[in-house]
Amino acid sequence: MDYHVTYTEAELVQGLHARDQKVFGFLYDHYSPALYGVIVKVLNDHGLAVDVLQDVFLKIWRYAEQYNEEKGRLFTWMLNIARNTAIDVLRSKSYKLEQKIQNITDDVHLDGGSLTVYPSVDHLGFSKVLDKLTKEQRTLIDLAYYKGCTQEEISRVLDIPLGTVKTRLRNAIIQLRVILNK
Amino acid sequence: MDIQFILSSGLIELYTAGLTSDQESQELEEAMHHYPEVAAAVGACQRNLEEYVRLQAVSPPENIKTRLLHLIQTDPSLANDTIATGGDTSPITPASVAPAGEKKQVSWKWIATAAAVLLLISVAFNIIYFSLWKEFQADYPKNQSLAATPLPVNEDKIKLEQLKNAMAVMEDPKVLKVIMPGTDSFPTAVATVFWNQDNKQVYLKANNLPEPATGKQYQLWAIVDDKAVDAGVFDMGDKAHLLQKLKIAGNAQMFAITLEKKGGADTPTLGQLYVSGKVPG
Repeated sequence: MDYHVTYTEAELVQGLHARDQKVFGFLYDHYSPALYGVIVKVLNDHGLAVDVLQDVFLKIWRYAEQYNEEKGRLFTWMLNIARNTAIDVLRSKSYKLEQKIQNITDDVHLDGGSLTVYPSVDHLGFSKVLDKLTKEQRTLIDLAYYKGCTQEEISRVLDIPLGTVKTRLRNAIIQLRVILNK
Repeated sequence: MDIQFILSSGLIELYTAGLTSDQESQELEEAMHHYPEVAAAVGACQRNLEEYVRLQAVSPPENIKTRLLHLIQTDPSLANDTIATGGDTSPITPASVAPAGEKKQVSWKWIATAAAVLLLISVAFNIIYFSLWKEFQADYPKNQSLAATPLPVNEDKIKLEQLKNAMAVMEDPKVLKVIMPGTDSFPTAVATVFWNQDNKQVYLKANNLPEPATGKQYQLWAIVDDKAVDAGVFDMGDKAHLLQKLKIAGNAQMFAITLEKKGGADTPTLGQLYVSGKVPG
């Protein structure tokens, strides 16, 4: 693939609609690490994550027509496909809730031993975020975003009152945004 | 719903994280559609979460890309668009923000917009074509006079016709071919005469003759009973590669070409004898 070529968002969308393989290659080169990161985070299983990533890119290729610019950027759309596909797989595995969310409370990404497994994690950037978020805030975001947990499930896992889940999650996201927008 | 209420309710954050109910998501999406501020706020929040995701990016194994490119190239079901929009891309979390599944209902608004756009395009083309037509009308007399002069295409046709005639002459069994090699003075020169003894017509092919100086012309001579009889002058230029029809010669035993002043000479200038060849038999 030609790495020198860059596309505007509109060109990417057009290229995807036209089933341009170069554009597909470009999308893969630029977005597969982010999408794979999401899938790994959801499934906590690299073998399974590889299959899902492949599935996700085939969906992007096949359902290009369903992308609607009005609903958000192309990356948002791709990310949602990745997240939803992975969460789907997670659910079909009929894991117990505790198994499903196992890795959320482990600091997999910061575990020194797994540095070689996660070569493109932006450790510095990510640590900065983690330093400023409480563990509960991060867990709240990850359970909702990565695991697709319901309020009830979050309430149960974190052992916090159901009525406060929304408020705390919202505060966590606001805090995250403050950190990122600095 | 009031914009300020939406912006401050926390709905946007929960929606982005995927924790809103179906109804809440629908309400927010409607608000996004009507109020750009709401859409912008949702977009900004999405960007932040995407940044959070990007910070945790993981490079997938290298072979996947090759496999994918192979898959999209070889699998016919992926190559064309006939696949039904499967349910597998529809949102699976109740609060999912996936736009994938939502596009299923094609709204009349879209169709109306599309129709309006098509109409505009059509009108634009009408204007363009009308002005082109007007222009054409204005230019019509000019074009007419242009058409009267022969077009390059006709020249090609003529050339083709000449080539065809040349072929016919060369293939005619009654036509004698007389090759005239160069003389000692002009050893590289070659020309060929095709002589139809039945109708006494002579066709000349200048295989290799240098371009004559200005004011000069080549002249073909038929040697009849030891006398040089003028068989006509001929031009070079772009005619050099074609057979040139010249004057009818008598009972020639030999043919020769000299370079003479333009228009030809009464007797050949022997010092300027380029080629000569005997008629076989």
